[in-house]
Amino acid sequence: MADSKQKKQYAFVVRQLTARELKRKYTRSFLGIFWSVLNPLLSMAVLSLIFSQLFRRSIENYPIYYLTGYILWQTFTGATTAALTTLVDNKMLLLKVKFPMELFVVTRVYTALINLGYFLIAYAVMLMVFGVTPKWTMLFSPLIIFCLFLFSLGMSYILAAAYVFFGDIKHLYTVILTLWMYCSAIFYPAEQLQGPIQLVIRNNPLFILINCLRKAVMYGELPLPLEIAQMLLWGFGVYLIGSYIFRRSKNKIMQRI
Amino acid sequence: MAGNSGKAEEKEQAKQEAEIRVEHVTMQFRRAKDEASSLKEFLVRAVRRQHKYEKFKALDDVSFTVEKGEVAGLIGTNGSGKSTMLKIISGALIPTSGRVTVDRSKVQLLTLGTGFDPELTGRENVYLNGALIGYTKEFLDQKYRDIVNFAELEGFMEEKVRNFSSGMVSRLGFAIATAQDVPEILILDEVLSVGDMFFRQKSEARIREMIHGGSTVLIVSHSTAVIRNNCTKAVWIEKGRLRAVGDPREVCGAYEKLKDV
Repeated sequence: MADSKQKKQYAFVVRQLTARELKRKYTRSFLGIFWSVLNPLLSMAVLSLIFSQLFRRSIENYPIYYLTGYILWQTFTGATTAALTTLVDNKMLLLKVKFPMELFVVTRVYTALINLGYFLIAYAVMLMVFGVTPKWTMLFSPLIIFCLFLFSLGMSYILAAAYVFFGDIKHLYTVILTLWMYCSAIFYPAEQLQGPIQLVIRNNPLFILINCLRKAVMYGELPLPLEIAQMLLWGFGVYLIGSYIFRRSKNKIMQRI
Repeated sequence: MAGNSGKAEEKEQAKQEAEIRVEHVTMQFRRAKDEASSLKEFLVRAVRRQHKYEKFKALDDVSFTVEKGEVAGLIGTNGSGKSTMLKIISGALIPTSGRVTVDRSKVQLLTLGTGFDPELTGRENVYLNGALIGYTKEFLDQKYRDIVNFAELEGFMEEKVRNFSSGMVSRLGFAIATAQDVPEILILDEVLSVGDMFFRQKSEARIREMIHGGSTVLIVSHSTAVIRNNCTKAVWIEKGRLRAVGDPREVCGAYEKLKDV
């Protein structure tokens, strides 16, 4: 009883903190929340302009191909880069409040997830514009997003804890993200790469998620059992490792902050 | 008058049980000498084997108890270990050695303006701040009017806190913090002496109400006046060591003497 009450209170805290993040982000810009919808579309337009010619043979419907990858990738980077600094940003709060500091990390990831919701609006509109018909395999996407959430949360735990001790993680992570992005086949067809790099891409959790979503939305294919297993394994695995590391370093974080 | 003696008896009985028991608490921070704040530095030093640690005791073998119904004041200069003590009592830090016995579910830590965001409106901040302090949504819905009334901020709540004066901010903070029903163990972290004179009287009356509502109170302050006026016991911590425990007047007197020198 007390436990469920506490959970409810934690959920309330996360909602309030998330509302703060969103309001902060959008009150200063004129277009407000509309940016979240517009951003992926602009990016899609730019990339399509250049690459849809280049990959005309290998990818049909390039804009959707790109957009599918883009929204998942943006959600992941948005979540992790925001969560990276969350403990340091909320330093003052951390020392004074009674609830577990995991909630600060959860808040940033949840904020990214809300943003994904806005992306999806843009995405749905584009699906219609480019004549992608609704398929029952699309029902599979919540599972993909759920795995993405777990994976991002796990990564966020690790990064947030590390950033408390090492300030340069931030710069390092930016570089890693760039590399990671190129290995996720967001704007090019994965099949065109050969050799070891192909192996890297195939085992890249983000590529797996992106690929599954593309198949479900664009081609009406279900993910293979192996892919589902990989997705779940990455999601739960990284989440468990991340929260374990975070829990272990909690006391040290408090001392350092 | 009869009621008074009954209360004294009650207090005698209550003395048997300590609400907050701090036993031989030592908090040691391992601080690297000119700490590596980046991974690069850390690695460079690891390769050169240059990790030097310096041990630093924020608290050194501190013990005291706060009995049920007592109003204890924790006093000490800045950096004396007061806030470390507070964090240990509230459970944010785990001491290196020693023990703190306290029922954390009863503890309510009262601080001002925890997480006020200048970009949000007054109303939004009430909910944000309230959530952080541990109020439920239902509770805030129900108490919202009282909070605004107490803070005397009718008509300002839809404005951004950025445009509030500092007095308005602290009034709002105080109103939110004290909106709750009296908790069993109340920790006040420098919350007295807020706002202008009129509001200060109002707020002190409110605190006194809470203190006399029968809760156990721990006040943290570096103002001896606050401790003298409100407490039944004073605990003085200096440079991590316990200097004195006892009658607030005596302890504060000794503290002031040290400060004057």
